[in-house]
Amino acid sequence: MKRNTIYTGTALLLLFVFVYFANKHLDSYLLRILNLCAIYTVLGLSMNLINGFTGLFSLGHAGFMAVGAYTTAMLTLPIATKQMNFFLAPLISPLDKIVWPFLPSLLLAGVLAAIVAFLIGAPVLRLKGDYLAIATLGFSEIIRVVFTNTQTVTNGALGLKGIPATTNLWWSFGTAVVTIFIMVSLINSSYGRAFKAIREDEIAAESMGISLFKHKVLSFAIGAFFAGIGGGLLGNLMGTIDPLMFRFFMTYNILLIIVLGGLGSVTGTIISAFIITIAQEFLRFLDEPIIPNIPALPGLRMVVFSILLMLVVLFFRTGLMGTREFSWDKFFGFFKKRPLSNGGAK
Amino acid sequence: MMNVMRTDNITMQFGGLTAVKDFNLELNKGEIVALIGPNGAGKTTAFNMITGVYTPTGGKVLLNQKSTVDGKDVYNEKDITGLRPDQITKLGIARTFQNIRLFKDLSVLDNVLIANHLRISSNVFESIFKLPRYKREEKQMVEKSMNLLEKVGLADSRYEKSSSLPYGQQRRLEIARALATDPGILLLDEPAAGMNPKESDDLTIFIKRIRDEFDLTVFLIEHHMQVVMGISNRIYVLDYGITIAKGNPYEIQNNQRVIEAYLGVDEDA
Repeated sequence: MKRNTIYTGTALLLLFVFVYFANKHLDSYLLRILNLCAIYTVLGLSMNLINGFTGLFSLGHAGFMAVGAYTTAMLTLPIATKQMNFFLAPLISPLDKIVWPFLPSLLLAGVLAAIVAFLIGAPVLRLKGDYLAIATLGFSEIIRVVFTNTQTVTNGALGLKGIPATTNLWWSFGTAVVTIFIMVSLINSSYGRAFKAIREDEIAAESMGISLFKHKVLSFAIGAFFAGIGGGLLGNLMGTIDPLMFRFFMTYNILLIIVLGGLGSVTGTIISAFIITIAQEFLRFLDEPIIPNIPALPGLRMVVFSILLMLVVLFFRTGLMGTREFSWDKFFGFFKKRPLSNGGAK
Repeated sequence: MMNVMRTDNITMQFGGLTAVKDFNLELNKGEIVALIGPNGAGKTTAFNMITGVYTPTGGKVLLNQKSTVDGKDVYNEKDITGLRPDQITKLGIARTFQNIRLFKDLSVLDNVLIANHLRISSNVFESIFKLPRYKREEKQMVEKSMNLLEKVGLADSRYEKSSSLPYGQQRRLEIARALATDPGILLLDEPAAGMNPKESDDLTIFIKRIRDEFDLTVFLIEHHMQVVMGISNRIYVLDYGITIAKGNPYEIQNNQRVIEAYLGVDEDA
């Protein structure tokens, strides 16, 4: 137990050193990719809590992210930039005078997303399976449409530009590490076990005294909290957001990460968030003309991921990790091959 | 003998079909009571009404609760009709299922730990940040669950997936899980289903043992007459949703209507 704490500390220290040097020496393109990896880790974990650990098939993630991204952006935009953005209709008071530091803005973004999740979850979480998916999908579209039409609060379809690029590796990786610790601690706690019980068998869970409503809403709100924070990080990384960013495609991207990584595995989500984010950049050449004289097919890159998702769902349903998790004991056990006679693996 | 629970004319109608009609059950402390009847007689429906899975379309489920007022034990009946299953479990009625409903992908220990969750007083923040109260509760939960697993003889397989256990042990795990909710009344839905005579004999002894050890009142549905007759203080017989007989095993065995319900009536006679 103690030994593992030392290993974890060492790993964190190594990550710290890596971030320090990466921040100094890598170019902005690579930094952007690394930031996205960490942010998608946060987003993936938040969705996996809802879909993978509690078994609620929710497709409303882009909605929570939009709430988070807009909250953070509105709170961190300098007053002058706000005036420049809102040239069609002036921004309502008191938002036009408020400028907050990044951290409290992010936290409020999470809290607001969680409140929205609570409000939407209370009626919708009675539904199961496909019906829940449709209802949450509809909800995220509603959020998007509302944001498109509230000109005096969100600047509508014009979006927000000139958001301070506060998100750097420290913020993104820092948030990712905190999220990982909280998620791991949560799912291994009594509440996490209750979530998993609901995923395994709702009727049995309820008969064991677990209030389905309370725990579903709890999981939904905690997931939305981190989705809001992830959205906030993303907005302040991009520098510009508009409602179209938060279409179903955004939810699909995160769904891809958690399905490929393994529904119900924190480790799988982290690995998969990095692989998919990096691969999306790496496969960019597919969108450009590859064979001479044949016009380019923009979007071919995403076809690769769609096919990958189909293959996983058809033949490899547990994804990369299934519900398994990383542990130091397993990690070193993997390298330390025991002799076959003692039950070691080949 | 003291009454712990009773039902007052509970009725369950599904559209035009009356699955159970005017069922009056009375459970006394420490008794083992069986509910028998041919397939489709409404036994599980009766169970589901008591445990809150269904809300009876008529009648009341009444739980006799003990409370202490001025140092004296006071009993008063609480109407639990229409409460949710989790609320009813909290009040001390636990159950098992006809088709085993374990949390299949989780370990044997986790299955029992989950049933402790309903009594937790730490909130989710205390649980995430492992504050002292949560740590203390978690330790108690693990100790209690291990204790239960030892009593049902499953302590050695605590880290195994629950679905990997043999059938008989899965049944025992389900009972252990129900016991972890600290019930006063235990409802068992066909505990001996799919068991051979040797296993059902063991089960009979096991149910009597846990009744004494955990101070329980047991209400069970069972088809194995060997088990039912060997274990029950009293028996209720349902046929097409109607209570056709009740009494001790001897009375039931010699009841003409029960024999007819099970064997059929000679139409020509």
